[in-house]
Amino acid sequence: MAIVPALLLVAIAAWEVCAARRDAGAVPGDAAWRAAGLQVRAGYQPGDLIVFAPDWVDPVGRMQLGDLIPVAMAARMDAARYGRIWELSIRGARSADTAGLAPVASEDHDGVTVRRFERAPAVVVGDVLERLATATSTGARPALALAEVGFAPHRCLQVSPAPGAPLRIAFPQLPLGRELVGYVGIADVFTRRDVRSPVRLAVELGGKILASAVAGVDDGWVRFAAATPPGPAEVVFVLGATDRDRRICFAAEARQ
Amino acid sequence: MSRRARLLVGWALAVVAVVVVMIDQRDVGIARDEVVYIQHGEHYASWWLGLVRLEHGVSAASITQTFGGPSATDNNREHPPLMKTLFGLSERLLHDRLGVADEVTAARLPSAMMHGVAVLVVYLFALELAGLAEAILAALLLLLLPRALFHAGLACFDAPTMTLWFATVYAYGRALDGRAWPWQVGVLWGLALATKHTALLLPFALGVHYLVVGWRSDAARAAHGAGKLGAILGHRWRVIASLAVLGPVTLYAVWPWLWFAPVSHVRDWLAFHLSHVHYNYEYLGRNWNAPRFPWHVALVTTLFTVPVATLAAAAVGGGVWIAGRVRGAGAPVVLLALSAAASIGPFLLGTTPIFGAEKHWMPALPTICIAAAVGAVWAGRAAAGRRASEARGRGAGIVVIAVGACLVAASAVEVGVAEPYALTWYNALAGGAPGGADLGMNRQFWGVAARGVLPELVAEAAAPPRSTYVYTHDAAPAWALYQRLQLIPGTLLDAGWEQAGIDRSQLAIVIHERHFNRHDYLIWRSYGTVQPSFVLRAGGVPIVSVYRRPGYGGEAVP
Repeated sequence: MAIVPALLLVAIAAWEVCAARRDAGAVPGDAAWRAAGLQVRAGYQPGDLIVFAPDWVDPVGRMQLGDLIPVAMAARMDAARYGRIWELSIRGARSADTAGLAPVASEDHDGVTVRRFERAPAVVVGDVLERLATATSTGARPALALAEVGFAPHRCLQVSPAPGAPLRIAFPQLPLGRELVGYVGIADVFTRRDVRSPVRLAVELGGKILASAVAGVDDGWVRFAAATPPGPAEVVFVLGATDRDRRICFAAEARQ
Repeated sequence: MSRRARLLVGWALAVVAVVVVMIDQRDVGIARDEVVYIQHGEHYASWWLGLVRLEHGVSAASITQTFGGPSATDNNREHPPLMKTLFGLSERLLHDRLGVADEVTAARLPSAMMHGVAVLVVYLFALELAGLAEAILAALLLLLLPRALFHAGLACFDAPTMTLWFATVYAYGRALDGRAWPWQVGVLWGLALATKHTALLLPFALGVHYLVVGWRSDAARAAHGAGKLGAILGHRWRVIASLAVLGPVTLYAVWPWLWFAPVSHVRDWLAFHLSHVHYNYEYLGRNWNAPRFPWHVALVTTLFTVPVATLAAAAVGGGVWIAGRVRGAGAPVVLLALSAAASIGPFLLGTTPIFGAEKHWMPALPTICIAAAVGAVWAGRAAAGRRASEARGRGAGIVVIAVGACLVAASAVEVGVAEPYALTWYNALAGGAPGGADLGMNRQFWGVAARGVLPELVAEAAAPPRSTYVYTHDAAPAWALYQRLQLIPGTLLDAGWEQAGIDRSQLAIVIHERHFNRHDYLIWRSYGTVQPSFVLRAGGVPIVSVYRRPGYGGEAVP
């Protein structure tokens, strides 16, 4: 038994010598990414969504295929409107955008796995980002922004309500489908650090609250959704904050 | 081996450490804070040289102009001056006068030399505690800690703080022998204080240890009641006096900013750190920038940033200590444990800023390395005890060397894969750099990785004398130094801050940390593309992206 500690230490050291070197070369290099990129380009159709997993490899994926990813797509509200999704992943990771989907095709390129997913996309009949010009506000007007929310990019309407004075932003004649889906969060990591209070959003239709959400500083991009009667209607987003400089960022789509 | 020979071994290891650090730092980029310390170090050194040459006297005006000012960060007065002054003096000598080193290398030499001293002190401590084999192994394991090696190559305070902290611990331990003038412990603590405020934690370790040793002293055992308390507190009172008097006096002597209004200036110094802003820090998949922080940040980060074999051996060494197989006069093991606890303990509270990670609790590392050496040597000797009965001594030596060599090899391999981007590196237990990224551990800080994309930027830019504007992101403070080092031409211009700088730029870089994602998005908005032209990786993990404005082909800037 006296030899066990020494053997253990030698075994751990030998494992570390091997594992450290293996780990350093465990991530696929540019050749694998180029091969994976070529496969995507060969099957790519305009409007396809391209995602990468895990998140930390996103810059490498964008370097290979970024020309096929418009800024608006990279900063999407969510992936529901995309019927075809290409997922390039390493180390067995999966993108949150393909959760629950089964790939119709999958191929590995020296550690970069290319999966293609197909599904019926959400049909968007109204998007508040596209109808900003028609919106009215009881205070500050929201601005179309490409913002960092929860350390991810999102195109959204951004506005900072006065503390304790909820802001009502109305979209008259917003075309509605069967469902209104949206997200809300607090933009800017530094104001999230310095001011820790959450923000609130409520969606009103015909004077009734359809949906509501609370987004705290660590909650990221918070989803809300509600069933809606199809047809044009005035939809009001009520945004509230208890502190100044809360950069509320929200987006919403009416879906068929 | 004679005492002199043993000392020579320690000094040789120290010299090797300095050389290794100086070689390693050549490829390490310039840290954001380093720029500030180098710049102020130049000013501090000039002031001292001017004083020695009688070019100026000691006036509140000249001191304030160099060392202080009305605002909390004027002339970097929030940090004591010892290392900055040494950076400046080294630069004056090696760069300005002798011309044997560039200004960054010259400024970094004092940190490297301090690391050599750390290796020496760890060697000496282990030598007195356990023996020559333990001493050599402990010194090598300290030298081959990837993160510590990285920090030792910067003109910053963290590695020197570890050195002076542990040197104080060592001097304190020796001072308990009852010597009449234990001045070393007070002076060293003063120098530690003059390096970084974290040295203020050291008396907690020394104080508890002093009480333990006092309680065990013959005088205390013989005394009763109030006399017992007096015996405990007074058994080596000169050591306490040295710390209490010479510590503050040394700090005062090397920090001219304290030469007038010392109370308010010390108060300002400490107040700055007691209310320090919480920088962003990624830990286990979440960005942390406000308390409460998880209590286990320091423990898990240490678990993932010290070579695994060293940690395993330290666990064995801890077991050996607990079993009481290593004892020494003055409870040295208790002292080591308290030293580590005082260094790392505040980070278990959940409110102490965690943004610097392991660099903030580096004084715990000597304890880990000494424990590892004790554990490895004990394991080797235990194994040899059964298997080499006839030539027991020689056999034990061979087994000890074999076990130690395996540990050293493991650490050396970790160093090899870690440098020069050691802040992105995690040990094999975490799965290396990609494993750390999978776990959501902090990617890097201080913008050092920008150096790795300088050749790419030069290749993408217009050929001199035409100019190109670069959004330099977190490397902006280091940009002028990179130009002076001729790593980039003077025509590669810093475009400025945030969106205005990006809009002016033709090239842009993003140094990847989670809270820096926003810089990608600012660039996307301005450049109209999400596609970087180059992504620098460490162990496959992205650390810097380079963007080229679409349509820009290296033509001149109007």
